[in-house]
Amino acid sequence: MTVTQIVPRQEQVDLDALLQRLSDPQTRAVPFSDAILDFCARFSTALFRDPEARRYPELQALAFWMRKSELTRIKAEFESLQSETTLLMPRGLVFHVPPSNVDTIFIYSWILSVISGNTNIIRVSDRAAEASAVICRIFNAAIAESDPSVGQNTAMLRYGREREITASISAVADVRVIWGGDATVNTIRSIPLPPHGQELTFPDRYALAVLNADAYLKLEPADRQALAGKFYNDTFWFDQMACSSPRVVIWVGRQESCERASTVFYDELESEVSRKQYALATGPRLNKLTFAYRAILDQPVTRFRQAGPECAVLTLEEVSNLDREHCGGGLLFQAYAKELNEIAPLIIRRDQTLTHFGFTRDELRNLARLLNGRGIDRIVPVGHALNFNRFWDGYDLLREFTRTVYIQS
Amino acid sequence: MSFDQLLTAPQYSLPQREKEQLLLQELNALTARHDANCREYSKLLEVTGSAKTAETIEEVPYLPVGLFKSHALRSIPPENVFKTMTSSGTTGQQVSQIFLDRETAMRQTAALGNIIGHVIGRERLPMILIETSALLKDRKRFSARAAGLLGMMNFGRQHFYALDENMELDETGLRSFLERFGERPFLMFGFTFMVWQYLYQNLLGKNFDLSNGILLHSGGWKKLQEMAVSNDEFKRRFKAETGLHRIYNFYGMVEQVGSVYVEGEDGYLYPPNFADVIVRDPVTLEPAPVGTPGVIQVLSILPLSYPGHSILTEDLGIVHGVDDSTCGRKGKRFSVVGRVPKTELRGCSDVHASQVA
Repeated sequence: MTVTQIVPRQEQVDLDALLQRLSDPQTRAVPFSDAILDFCARFSTALFRDPEARRYPELQALAFWMRKSELTRIKAEFESLQSETTLLMPRGLVFHVPPSNVDTIFIYSWILSVISGNTNIIRVSDRAAEASAVICRIFNAAIAESDPSVGQNTAMLRYGREREITASISAVADVRVIWGGDATVNTIRSIPLPPHGQELTFPDRYALAVLNADAYLKLEPADRQALAGKFYNDTFWFDQMACSSPRVVIWVGRQESCERASTVFYDELESEVSRKQYALATGPRLNKLTFAYRAILDQPVTRFRQAGPECAVLTLEEVSNLDREHCGGGLLFQAYAKELNEIAPLIIRRDQTLTHFGFTRDELRNLARLLNGRGIDRIVPVGHALNFNRFWDGYDLLREFTRTVYIQS
Repeated sequence: MSFDQLLTAPQYSLPQREKEQLLLQELNALTARHDANCREYSKLLEVTGSAKTAETIEEVPYLPVGLFKSHALRSIPPENVFKTMTSSGTTGQQVSQIFLDRETAMRQTAALGNIIGHVIGRERLPMILIETSALLKDRKRFSARAAGLLGMMNFGRQHFYALDENMELDETGLRSFLERFGERPFLMFGFTFMVWQYLYQNLLGKNFDLSNGILLHSGGWKKLQEMAVSNDEFKRRFKAETGLHRIYNFYGMVEQVGSVYVEGEDGYLYPPNFADVIVRDPVTLEPAPVGTPGVIQVLSILPLSYPGHSILTEDLGIVHGVDDSTCGRKGKRFSVVGRVPKTELRGCSDVHASQVA
């Protein structure tokens, strides 16, 4: 069977031959090999410099995360995961299935996988987004300039919904990584992996923000503006469609503080949104308005505030009731809580990221303990919602992409 | 008093200022009526902090049209529902549900009669329906298309369905209709796309004389735009091919049946006395200046049984002028540009995605 390969070179390839080569242990690299680190640095630089790539903030964030100093830090982390009695080894062939609207997040997991020495197949759908075409172009250019072994490690294939191709790859994959909606995850999950095969799923997730009202009110105006800037990045960068972009804000404190803080906060956010010249297309904007009106009828919404044309705020009567449907594009639910721990009963497994402001490390750790696994995989400061790292959706990717070999001498 | 005044005064005779004064009272009364009788509407007013008594027609609170698709909004008890209208939509799509009581239905009929009468006169004319009679077989389901057809049929007599069930033109039937009625004015009605695709395309080169016809058509230009047929082109080609020169496009929707916006002789659309449009800036939703495209809001004083007297549509339009028509009509002169495109949020940054309009 031939398939369309778009990375490392655009060409038709024979799938069986490709699978044979990529599942051959000889093709694997040593974790954190110089050749691969060198390729990553090259890729990062190219993303920074490429005029087209510069138009996409998410590619710039990717480039930043892949820069040499960051990878050196990850290498150190990797080494600290090994011990006198354990070594981490590549798992083998990792099959990545990104969402069909390919946002760039799968690149992060791919980098962690390739850097751990695995071989990789990435499936790109027919409907891939514009940004992914830019990535492929730059990627191929960087590969062409790198050590030939790097180009041997990865193949990106473009195909539609052909189950047969997915099945052939899955049959030899040591790890399968599925990004996308719940429906995609379920469909692909039904296709068998080898008995030892391991699966990482990144289905639909949800994110919340908790803000300490009194701490917020104590901020200097400049700091309020800075916080609004960070919150803006978390929320608006991907039109609020990223899993980790907050969709509900919970203010913690006395009712009166919460109300005051909230008023100021959305004023600041409104200014930030207009400073950044964020503008939705008319369709999504009307959709957002319709969504807000529907929410008013279906949920315990007590107040609707339009914080500028692009940000809609719906105040919920209480924190206990949260419908996780969302339209994206700058609509925030908000609720007030007296204590941080009050949010615990609200949390479900689907909740991934909790961004926070104004809480101590202990308060946050206590919350995590109180949750006891109900949900929430990441608790990060406001401004860090989208910052990818090896800990994602509850996985430690460096561990997931390696096998631990135990050695007793 | 005011409703009758708006209804019976000659259509398009009220200068905008005067009309707005009259509309405003009625619209405020409707806001109060629906606030008192429709729980959902009342909650929306309260939560959005909307003005219950507007000072200008621009201040009258509006509902996004999509709300009629997700919620059954009624200001009457279920037992008073006389007729339920649904919008057209392909399978799987949610459709609007509009609940009418007898009075609202009567108002709609009376209103439509006044508008159409203005164009065609009071006499019932022989009528060609560019439709298939199969459409009306299911009398329980009032799809927008069937409802539109039924509404318009009232204005004609000796109805002739020009299309068979396979949408083929009944040429023989059409010839005999024209032999019988073609020497005097006759009425024609159909949906824009069907008129073009199933009537015009099948008439080509066949020497049909429609020069005494008055064609009313509606339903939107989307498909014709794809074929690069503009309103002007539509008229020009019909005239050249068949002599048909009295062609009136109109704009309307199932959410406000009876309030139709018929084209004047100058090719622009005009709100009837008891309705109006406001074009809103696509970003701020503030009223847009004359000449600037934006989202169309429709106002109508007809809906008593459901809170649909002020609706923000998903259509884009332009108000070109006010009280400045060259065809003798007062009020706003506008055009519909098309639907707001359904852009999907990709989850990627398309912060600079092009603005519609």
